[in-house]
Order: sequence, then C-alpha cells, then structure tokens
Amino acid sequence: MLTLLRDLRRLRRAGALPRPDHGRSLAIRHVDVGSCNGCEHELTLASSPYYDLQRFGLGVVASPRHADLLLVTGPVTTRMRDPLLTAYEAMPEPRLVAALGDCALGCHLLGTPDALVGSVDTVLPVDLRIPGCPPTPDAIATALLELVDRTSR
Amino acid sequence: MTVHAALAYREAVQEALAGGFRFAGLYASEGGAVVRAALVAPDGTVAIESVAAQAGVVPTIVDLAVAADWDEREAHDLYGVHFDGHEPLRPLVEHDPVLARWTVPVRGKDVYQVAVGPIHAGVIESGHFRFHVVGDRILHLDARLFYKHRGLESAAEGSTLADGARYVGRACAACAVANGLAYAHACEAALGLEPTPELTRARTILLELERLWSHLNDVAAVCAGVGLAAGNNHFAALTERARRLNAVLTGHRFLFGTIELGGSSLELDAGTVRDAREELDAIRVATERGWRELQFNASFQDRLPDIGILGPDDVERLGTVGPAARAAGVAVDVREHTLRLEYPDFQPRTPDRPDGDVRARLDQRILELRQTLDLLDRLLDGPVRPTGSTPTGPKAACAEGLVESARGATLCIVERDGDRLTRVHLRTGAYANWPSVAYAASDNLLPDFPLINKSFELCYACADR
Repeated sequence: MLTLLRDLRRLRRAGALPRPDHGRSLAIRHVDVGSCNGCEHELTLASSPYYDLQRFGLGVVASPRHADLLLVTGPVTTRMRDPLLTAYEAMPEPRLVAALGDCALGCHLLGTPDALVGSVDTVLPVDLRIPGCPPTPDAIATALLELVDRTSR
Repeated sequence: MTVHAALAYREAVQEALAGGFRFAGLYASEGGAVVRAALVAPDGTVAIESVAAQAGVVPTIVDLAVAADWDEREAHDLYGVHFDGHEPLRPLVEHDPVLARWTVPVRGKDVYQVAVGPIHAGVIESGHFRFHVVGDRILHLDARLFYKHRGLESAAEGSTLADGARYVGRACAACAVANGLAYAHACEAALGLEPTPELTRARTILLELERLWSHLNDVAAVCAGVGLAAGNNHFAALTERARRLNAVLTGHRFLFGTIELGGSSLELDAGTVRDAREELDAIRVATERGWRELQFNASFQDRLPDIGILGPDDVERLGTVGPAARAAGVAVDVREHTLRLEYPDFQPRTPDRPDGDVRARLDQRILELRQTLDLLDRLLDGPVRPTGSTPTGPKAACAEGLVESARGATLCIVERDGDRLTRVHLRTGAYANWPSVAYAASDNLLPDFPLINKSFELCYACADR
C-alpha cells in the first residue's frame, strides 16, 4: 500500500498544473441540476492524483452552509430548480456560483420545455462559466484556480 | 405488429415467461393508446407483446413479472395509462407532494424515516432516498429518482432517425456508447441495414473501451465507499488513464459522437492501435497490482462480505441485469448472443464466491475488467478503417436494439414513420437495477448504504432521461 501511495504522489508531480502556493482556499458545494453525469465524472477526477485539487486548498464540502462556491452541472430541470435555490440560500456571504459544462451554460439543451427551466443563469447570478461537454478535469482545475486568484486579489 | 386484447396479452406474456423469457421493458406508445412489453428469450431474441388500452386501461403484468413495476408506474405517470390490478400504483416519475402516496407506510415501534437528497454530500447525481429505519437498521428504502427528468424521449419524437441519436446519446455520459449502440441497432434493424464485419469490430472496441473506464471507476467507488483513499486514488488514476486513451483514439474522453447510424468513421492506423495495446497492457499490470493490494488489505476486505445481499432468486424475481446479476451467479450477458457486435465464443463469467454481496460485485468487476482487456487486445490487432452497412435485411416500422452496458442489458425500441421517429424508448441497465439496490439495502445498517450503493454504481441520468 505504501508503494502505491508513493507512485500516486509521482503522478501528481508529473501534472502540468502550477505548484501550489500558500494562502488559497475555496470550499465547493456541487449541485447536479439535470446533467448527463459526464461533468460529475470529470469533476470527480479533478480530485484524483493527476490533478489533486486539494493541494491548492480547493475541496468539495458536504454542505452549502460552509461553501464559498456553488458548482452547478446540467440544464436546470423543473424538479431541481427549488433544491438549487435552497442550496444557494443556505450559503453564507460572500458566495459565488459557477456553471460547469455546456448544459449549465445553456448550449444545445435537449429536453421538453415543461421538464427544463434552462441555463443556470436564468435561476442564479453566475460568476464563473466553464464550457465543455464535459469540461476536462484539467479545464475544471484551471478555471477554479483562476477564480480563486481573481477573487482573492 | 399484432396488438392483443387484454386477456390475450396477459396470456402471451405468461407463456413467454414460462418458456424462459426474461422481462426486458414496458412502455406506452401512440400517446397511451398502446402498451408494449418486451421479453428476451434465452437465445437473446426479443419478443414484443402489445396491448390496446380500453378507455385508458390495460391489464397489469406486475404479478407475472415483478420487474415491470417501475415501467408500469412510468407509463402511468407520463401517458396516463392505468394498469388494472397494479395496486397501489404509486407515482414514480410524477413527484407527488403527498408523502403517503409515494412511500410505503411507516409502521412499528421506534420506526423512523431518514430522508437523504436530492442533493447529496459528495459529487453525486441528484436523487432522493427515504430510509425507514429502526436504530441503525434499514427496514425499507424508497428511492425517488427522476429529479433529472429532461423529457428526452418525448423531445426526440418527430426528429429524423439520425438526429434522434443525439437525445439517446446524451441520456447518460457513462453509458453513451451502450445507449447509442442500442439506438443505432434498433434504427438499423428498422431500416434493414446489416453491419459489415468491420463495423461490428469498430463498435465492439468502443463498447469495451466504455466498460473499461466504467469498471475501473466502479472499483475506485467501492474503495471510496469504505474510505480507503489509497485504493480509491489508485483506481481513479487508472480511470483517468483509460479516459485519456479514449481521447487519443476517438477525440473524446467519453467517446461522444462515435456511434453513427449505419456506419463508423473511426480510423486508427497501425501505430495508434499498437500504442493503444501497450497502454492497455500497462493498465492491466497496474490494475492487477492495485487489486493485489486490495485483496490483502484486511480492514478493507472486512467491510465487504455479507452486506447488500442480492441472491439468485432475487435476481430472477426483480429482473436484475449486468454485473449485479452475475455476482449472484446468474450468468446473463447480452454479449453472449448479440449478432451485431463481435463477441465470438463469449462466455459470461461469475465469481468464485457468487454470494451476491458487495464483495461478489467487486470481484465481478475485476473478472470483467480482465475479460474486457483480453477482448480489446484481440480486437485491436490491426488498423481500424471507416466502414458502413449493407441494406440486405427486412425493414420494419418498429424494431429494437439490445446491448450489454457496463451496468447491464440496455434495450432501445424505435418506432418510425419513414425517416421520422414517432416513439423511442430507452430502458437502461441502471433503470432495471434501481429496484434491486433498494431491495438489497433492506436489513442492512444505514451507514453501509453508501457502500452498497457504490457496489451497484448505477447512473441516475440513465434512469431519469
């Protein structure tokens, strides 16, 4: 098991992301409002050894109550509109919202009008847009790190 | 296609089930005027039995095939069909605000409910679970999905057959190839198109590449469910490698856009397939190395046996498919019989200890990973070139495609009027298996549920559509 861990550390160092510095942190709450599960799978791998977002102070937290960023995936379905708003209202100020993936941005939405509300920005103010179908873990990591640098300046 | 009257429909279904057919799906068509039930024979052929609704009512078959429970409830919620004899016909897709209408009543001393979701604590799709619990023990679980219902099937109606592929393909990223293939097979069967041997080979490569990353992800998920970070990270890194390989081979990490009607534009030269085989060999070595560590990690292994048990009788009764069925010793696998893909002499595997528990489902993933790596090694023995189909088969207005996804048998039925889709229905392995998850969870400890759930690792998007 120890050799596995040593190898995993090596994978992280081989990545293209910048070296972590100090003083950064972002608590992320993810909400899926109707995705195809692609954005979830890529977001999960953004925490895997190749990218390891935690080392930059970025982590997915279990509750919106202590989250800085609401990371939303998928086109907003009529059934997920209220849960999304509830999660947003539970967040402390200052709070940010990111729309992750083309569906969340409202591109090429598929579905019936009565099942879909639309893009995330029809429901909440969006601070960060991460395009892609789905965005790669690299793109997710890069966009989130830029956001942290931009907002902590 | 013959449309039965009520009594003849039940008799036809009963006769097929007695003849060893398995229930494979049921849906409403023609705006609810007709209901069609699909059944799969032991040799893999699909029979479709239709019944005309009389004043919106058709007889239920849920007493004959318990697996039809969700399908009949969905047909009721989306098309208003009433199923005579299905009592109580609880809402499924429809989100009834009255709790007592969609959950079973909570009875007994000290019984309480634990409500979880639709938003979960990790990076997980949205869905609501309502546990009936005494102390820490689960008495019953009601899963309320369809928070992600996008109306994909109705939205696809009226589009061309080629355009319909977009709706089916985007139902789920984790099953994009399997769902897309089930749709393509259905359309091609309707149009009388027979795949060339090159096409069956190209598509089998894509389907197994999807299974590869998916099963690696499932092993990582079980490690995460136990809280074993090293195992989770090892297999998550392998999942990443498999997805990077997909991007190298097809330009997309989830193989989106690779399944086209009637042909394939996948082109891999000799050098690319050679490199791919080398990478697959490296993934195999790393998989075995990680698996050895997991097998000899006592604190990990202690968590797996005897929880979330789904025995062979449960599998038959609930119509469980895929790795979850095989982990209980029921060797059903669409790949054994499929004619439109290249699986010569394919034999479904079952684990040495087919106990139907979390351990068996994990062991099964490893067995299938080895099988998939062997298949890919054989299939990638030379360049892959763009290819098509031959228009030699009979045409039909309604046809089906059946494909083994990483989660199990996935059925797609297409009804057409010329080149226009009049109805498309997708019943994925995840849809078939959700009731089995709820059943397997009962009588277990509530804190074990995440692990039991991960051992099935079903998609919500696939079920909700």
